[in-house]
Amino acid sequence: MKSARLLGHRQRARLGVNVAMIIISLLLVLPLWYVLNNAFKVEQEILRQPLVLLPSTATLANVVRAFTAMNYPLRFMNSVVILVLSCVLLVSLGTLAAFGIAMARSRFLDRVYTLLVAMITLPFQLAMVPLIFMLKGFGLMNTYWGTALVYSGWFLPFVIFIYTGFMRTIPRELEEAGRVDGCGLFRSLLSIYIPLLKSVTGTVLILRGVPIWNDLLVSLITLSRSTMSTLPLKLYSFIGTYGSAGTRWTLVFGGTVIVSAPILLVFLFLQRYFVRGAVAGAVKG
Amino acid sequence: MERRGLTEAQRRQIVCFLFTLPALAVVFVFFLFPMLRSLVLSFTNWDGIGHDFQWVGLKNFATVVTDSSFRQVVVNTLYLIVIYVPVLNVIALLLAVAVYNSGRAGNIYKSMLFFPNLLSMTVIALIWKIIYNNGGILNQFLKAVGLKILARDWLGLPQTVLPAMSFTIIWFAVGYYLLIYLAGLNTVPVELYESAEVEGVTRTQKLFRITIPLIAPSVTINIVLSTIGIITLFDLPFVLTRGGPGYLSETLALHVYFYAFVQLQTTYALALAVLLGMFAILITSIQLRLLRRREEASR
Repeated sequence: MKSARLLGHRQRARLGVNVAMIIISLLLVLPLWYVLNNAFKVEQEILRQPLVLLPSTATLANVVRAFTAMNYPLRFMNSVVILVLSCVLLVSLGTLAAFGIAMARSRFLDRVYTLLVAMITLPFQLAMVPLIFMLKGFGLMNTYWGTALVYSGWFLPFVIFIYTGFMRTIPRELEEAGRVDGCGLFRSLLSIYIPLLKSVTGTVLILRGVPIWNDLLVSLITLSRSTMSTLPLKLYSFIGTYGSAGTRWTLVFGGTVIVSAPILLVFLFLQRYFVRGAVAGAVKG
Repeated sequence: MERRGLTEAQRRQIVCFLFTLPALAVVFVFFLFPMLRSLVLSFTNWDGIGHDFQWVGLKNFATVVTDSSFRQVVVNTLYLIVIYVPVLNVIALLLAVAVYNSGRAGNIYKSMLFFPNLLSMTVIALIWKIIYNNGGILNQFLKAVGLKILARDWLGLPQTVLPAMSFTIIWFAVGYYLLIYLAGLNTVPVELYESAEVEGVTRTQKLFRITIPLIAPSVTINIVLSTIGIITLFDLPFVLTRGGPGYLSETLALHVYFYAFVQLQTTYALALAVLLGMFAILITSIQLRLLRRREEASR
């Protein structure tokens, strides 16, 4: 009898928690709903009825206007190119370096590794000013490569940290067996290690790819030419042009939605990996 | 294949070092070297354009620290650390415990709460700018429920701008910290809770006697991560308020940007960046030391 009562009590507690969580979750996504539904309304409708979307008055005009005003395809391409270049650099250079550090067992590289880990928490603002001066000197301002290299320099310490941590959990015997079979280091990296790195690479891409895709600061200071601007940067300058007047919020609503759309689509398909990947990085630290 | 003077092990180490070289070069050129340069040039009168400079000692630091805006900017940054970090962590922990106890639906709540994290902070700031706006939905709502007295220009008033900004940042970040707490909770053996329940331990006691001591490592990670996060946060406050009204919501991180790229006072930007860096290192190492000690004590 006692255990039955205990279960009843627990179920009641669980019901209470669920009710509370449903309310909290809905309140939390309410601001997003507010923007989403207003993106498809005409201005008078937004003021009259901000939280309900009536299909009869729904319009694509805001989204279409924002799309053309932003020159969306160009911004999208800029964002994609910078993201891909950065991720290729982070993953390839990060894997190579982590492999070297994990295999060497040398005191020097262990010290380098400690230094890299310490650098993870240093504020980007500390490097910002001389970095821009240097980019100008190298002719890398307003270039995809320049921006991608800035992201790489900033995030490689973290990426190397994640990869090295993972490689150190792979049994050494694997590589040693490869060596007996005449595998050089590079061969064993390619044929033994890289196939094992799929999930950790997913983590790296989520933990650093998403911030790069969403970032404003680096694009703001490295991409001053308007044809180079990324989606967040264009959205930001967009507000300056339309938002401050207070009358063109419809355009801002539309712009916000189309800027967010790509990552939301990716999230819908890869939801599980996102949630898992987000934790993996922090828990290792 | 034999190379003179090098053993097999030594050759291996050289190859390993070569593997690390491209990454180290990128990190050095695009991150470490500029940082060291900031440190050196903050003691000079470099104009940010040419290559010439003279040493001026601590003059830039003195100017930055005695500037009328400095006090306000430091107060704002400290406010965010002292208010935002604890509030965020308490909310994230409580929500994590709730998600943990909510059974199957937990995954849905988790995804919903994590959702804002995916959006660009530019987007987030814009959304909340519209919400907090004078004629915005928040004020409309307050008027509609008869709390007209509370309706105000949330981002335009000295008393409300920082709380409003903190609220937005918490709204944005809570899902991420919740995930880390949840990962910690999942490592606590369920038997502990079951036996505690049999012995009639209350819910609050469970939280403080079992949960928090056992997830101490997650608490450490989250406090340090959220502190660094808030010290260096740029995008969200920049788009939300640009530090205004006046300097009332400007943080150190924003102030460096404004010095460097708006007022074009390069050396002040460098000096302030160095102070910001030292501050970040100092506060996180103090936190780490204290929290690690607590972790050991509670073990």
